[in-house]
Amino acid sequence: MNEGVMAMNTKSRYAWAYVMIAPTLIGTLLFWSWPAVYSIYLGFLKSENFGLVNHWVGTQNYEKLFKDQEFWRNLRNTLFYMVLFVPLTLVCSTVLAVLLNAKIRGRSTYRVIYFLPQVTMPAAAAMVWVVLFAQDYGLVNYALGTHVSWLSDPRFAMYSLVIVGVWAAIGFNMLLILAGLQGIPRTLYEAAEIDGAVGFNKFRYITLPLLTPTLFFTTIVLMIGATQVFDSIYMLIGKTNVALPAVRSLVYAYYQNAFVYYDQNYGAAIVNILLLVNLVLTGVQFLFQKKWVVYD
Amino acid sequence: MLFRNKTITSVLSLSLVATLALAGCSSKNDKNGNEASKPADNGQASEKASEKPAKDVTISYTIWDKNQQPAMEAIAKEFTAQNPNIKVKVEVIPWGDYWTKMSAAAPAGTLPDVFWMHGGQFIKYATGGFLEPITDKVQSGIIDLNNYAANLGSIYTLDGQNYGIPKDFDTIGLAYNKELFDQAGVPYPDDTWDYNKLAEVAKKLSQPDKGIYGFAAKMDTQTGYWNDMLANGGHILSDDQTKSGYDEPASIEALKFRYQMTLDKSSPTHQQMTDTDSTDMFKSGKLAMIFEGSWRNGDIDSSEIIHGKWNWAPLPKGKVKRGNIINGLGNVMSAKGKNKDESSLFLQFLGSKRASEITAEMGAAIPAFNGTQDAWVKSKPDLNLQIFIDQVADAFPYPSGTKAYPVWFAKEPEIMSQAWGGAISVEDAAKKVADMMNQAIADNK
Repeated sequence: MNEGVMAMNTKSRYAWAYVMIAPTLIGTLLFWSWPAVYSIYLGFLKSENFGLVNHWVGTQNYEKLFKDQEFWRNLRNTLFYMVLFVPLTLVCSTVLAVLLNAKIRGRSTYRVIYFLPQVTMPAAAAMVWVVLFAQDYGLVNYALGTHVSWLSDPRFAMYSLVIVGVWAAIGFNMLLILAGLQGIPRTLYEAAEIDGAVGFNKFRYITLPLLTPTLFFTTIVLMIGATQVFDSIYMLIGKTNVALPAVRSLVYAYYQNAFVYYDQNYGAAIVNILLLVNLVLTGVQFLFQKKWVVYD
Repeated sequence: MLFRNKTITSVLSLSLVATLALAGCSSKNDKNGNEASKPADNGQASEKASEKPAKDVTISYTIWDKNQQPAMEAIAKEFTAQNPNIKVKVEVIPWGDYWTKMSAAAPAGTLPDVFWMHGGQFIKYATGGFLEPITDKVQSGIIDLNNYAANLGSIYTLDGQNYGIPKDFDTIGLAYNKELFDQAGVPYPDDTWDYNKLAEVAKKLSQPDKGIYGFAAKMDTQTGYWNDMLANGGHILSDDQTKSGYDEPASIEALKFRYQMTLDKSSPTHQQMTDTDSTDMFKSGKLAMIFEGSWRNGDIDSSEIIHGKWNWAPLPKGKVKRGNIINGLGNVMSAKGKNKDESSLFLQFLGSKRASEITAEMGAAIPAFNGTQDAWVKSKPDLNLQIFIDQVADAFPYPSGTKAYPVWFAKEPEIMSQAWGGAISVEDAAKKVADMMNQAIADNK
């Protein structure tokens, strides 16, 4: 009798656990996994009549893609953005996290300030940046004494995007790293001080190694995020901007092909390549993590 | 050890948040617009299809122009007064989202019962079998397409089948700010003007240091350089719609002429017009002249800044003729609606003289029904709206009507903006557009 109740209890507890995770699980499967799988399938089709008529065309979309100079330029743009964005964000977030981990006056205020971009609506933030970067009356040109068209000169537009991207990403990544910092035992620093370690050496030999698991995770998430850059291009550059070809990312090209030119299949081919790029990048990271990530 | 556990917990919980954020992000990118496939509330969920006409039904009528909503609702109200059992719900989806939503609704079978159709999109929906043909009614004489101006009925005909009833038409005019002309002591534009005169006066009226410009030489098609190209003897498409006309010397010359005005400071730059819509500049009194479509009349006149201080003139004459584009919207009905009999009655009413009269009196658009245009012209007596009717004779039909059109029309602005932004020459851009159009035509045969 007792055992029966126990079994019932365990069973119903499991059932409850599944009920509790169901919203997330179903959402993820339905809106994330399924579209990803379907995109792979779409990449081999030629769809007509709003997707009601589909012809299997094999690798035709990919053949067209690899011959398309625009595609290679978009891939280069995406990787270039990532190469600038990821290290800059990592360095800025780490420095800020270390500073805000120290016992300084009003550090909660600073933490809030640096986290604010994360909770600001991207569209609203983008509009402010458009004003800041404006050629004629923008604050950036005023401060630098220049007269540069930051968002529509193909030479500068990419850097402007990176600045906005880093600005928006610092807060959240700082928080991640701050969590990592707070997990480093005080006792290690005390022991090091007794052994005569000072200032930068404590950071170099204690903080940094023990922070590597957090940094590893942050890097992977940042890289994946960087390859998916879209909204800042959409908001800050726009489709009739002369600088668009110089900054267009793969996801932006996907959006244009799938939703503006009504060619979902070509669009799907583009995002499938992006998926592959991300798999390779993440795989390489995991391979090399042994070289620099310290797990105790 | 306690500390380590805390780290792991925080990193894990944060990574969960990050995963969710990423998931949200990816799903947004991968969903192929399924977001939009949420069936628009077409107001018939609770209504059962019924054979008996006395049964109460609500049908949906979807449009994209908010400015015309009051007129469309007035028409719906009058229709319901005549058919008390049929209610009509007018819904507005802005132009920017309209076709995305329709292209998701079409395969899902959730198109509105009756909705506005554009010539450029018609072929896709007609060939897909998403529109209910009205050929029977045309042949039996219930609907007479000869009632509508400028052969507009032909726009919504495919392979001998009729699908749409003309709703309205639009042409392009030259809007000018009387105050800026008066200040400079320059006579207002009239039908003697040619393009050289336009450029000359635009230069004279510009005061770039004050942010005031003579003309908006915008990078635009229907209300922009298409008119210039036609006036100069060029083409948008060849007459048989098989070849682009962008690379004809006359077209390139017209494009260069327009672009030159942005260099001469007779017009705001492309960047300025990207930041602020040029018609909004005109509405705030910063522009002396602009090409605009008849459909923007009510919108421009609603600006308190220039109300009473502006008027319309015909487009200037080109080297060869006076260019203009005429386009007509149509009303169509879904082939998969639940209340097709009632929808068909409403569609017929939308094509009636009475519906056109309401459209005209409320100043919504130039109505399609012959003989009702005068009421529209008189809807704003202080504005010279007659120029839109007079220019129909010079006007060239909007170059839609092929399967290739939606493809090349979407790609065109990206190439042309390279020229307007100064990255490539106008000539190179025109040739690139021509190649792109010819390719699109070949791909969509």
